[in-house]
Amino acid sequence: MANLKEWIPLMLQGCGLTVKLFFIVILLSLPLGLAATFLYTGKNVVIRKIMGFYILIMRGTPLLLQVFFIYFGLPFVPKIGQYLTINDRFIAACTAYVLNYAAYFAEIFRGGLLSVDKGQYEAAKVLGMSESQTTFKIVLPQMIRISLPAVSNEAIILIKDTALVTAIGLADLLKVTNNIVNRTTNITAFIVAACFYLVMSYLLTVFFRNLEKKFAF
Amino acid sequence: MIEVRNIKKSFGDLEVLKDISFSVEKGDVVAILGPSGSGKSTMLRSLIELETVDAGEIIIEGDTLCSDGIYVPKKQRKKILDKMGMVFQHFNLFPHMNIKDNLLCACLCAKQAGKKELEKLASELLAKVDLSDKINAMPSQLSGGQKQRVAIARALMRQPDIMLFDEPTSALDPELTKEVLNVIKQLSEEKMTMLIVTHEIGFAVEAANKIIFLDEGHIAAMGSPEEALYNNDNERIKAFLEKVV
Repeated sequence: MANLKEWIPLMLQGCGLTVKLFFIVILLSLPLGLAATFLYTGKNVVIRKIMGFYILIMRGTPLLLQVFFIYFGLPFVPKIGQYLTINDRFIAACTAYVLNYAAYFAEIFRGGLLSVDKGQYEAAKVLGMSESQTTFKIVLPQMIRISLPAVSNEAIILIKDTALVTAIGLADLLKVTNNIVNRTTNITAFIVAACFYLVMSYLLTVFFRNLEKKFAF
Repeated sequence: MIEVRNIKKSFGDLEVLKDISFSVEKGDVVAILGPSGSGKSTMLRSLIELETVDAGEIIIEGDTLCSDGIYVPKKQRKKILDKMGMVFQHFNLFPHMNIKDNLLCACLCAKQAGKKELEKLASELLAKVDLSDKINAMPSQLSGGQKQRVAIARALMRQPDIMLFDEPTSALDPELTKEVLNVIKQLSEEKMTMLIVTHEIGFAVEAANKIIFLDEGHIAAMGSPEEALYNNDNERIKAFLEKVV
């Protein structure tokens, strides 16, 4: 306990990396997931098949395996491996997380899309709206509203999933905490870290609750 | 104004429209009656291309929408479809927009007129359906009857020549039905051409000058209410009237 002052700043630094990873992943994977939904539900059969395969792989294998594959595995791909190598651990982690989370968001948005009533499309059509006007003004806003609770859930999972990057040696909150516990032979740091994660999850919950209220209809 | 000749439509093996022909003149109020599953809604929806027919001809205000079941190209089609407005059983208001935006959205998308002008039209039409005070409300705050009146005002915003109503009161309580029917009656007094699929026989007889009675995809009777319903020997119509009146 005596060294609290010494290691809290270290943990805050780790927290910084966790938060940075979180924001990069969420800001990239949400629009990517949205695009994936439209490709997956679109008219082109080949693209639909490809998206189906992508989602199957991303949801069907562990995130940690994907992180390992992108950081450790890609350089060993025969012939083209040298061009695929990502030396920066942080960028490798971001890549794996974005690909993984975009797949989950794509499925969440697809669920939202399916929940938009058929009558909405018909009303837009008989009022003379074009397909793209219908998508952007009528369908998308409703789909996003319907998806919000599930997106919120996924965001909370992400903030905790960031801890997996510890496995490729990134100094995130968990890694820093684990080092401190090893050094001090005292579990206080674990409890402090748990509180940090709790606070972050709580803030996300509040943020999404407000968003839901704002877009309620 | 509307010419329908020999249209046919099947859903898989089920033939829902079997060689239907009729015509509608300007200012006509046509009530489309018949038992459930007789093809009423499908026929109405075909006119505005929510269903596509397999054969036959549809001509709206002299312009061919489809002939031999082949539809004209998109641009021409849109021009023809813009002449018609439609009101649905379940209102289909846009739930994420307030009433004003529900009325304005499509008009603004189509650049029908300037925003000021459209806002003026919106408040006029809301006054007409007696909902001026709801202009900033959300659809979820309205009763069913109010929603349907907003839906009618929204359809009128596009200034159609023909209005199609697909069971406009079937989702409403009896007490709310009346307020919607009153708006439709008011439109008929203004000589709006209308086709109304309905189960309200009393209303059909009172407001319509023409009745089309469908049965199993055929027109079983057509003409003035007296001709089509009361001076008719058709057993199906007699049975239907006995059940509903």
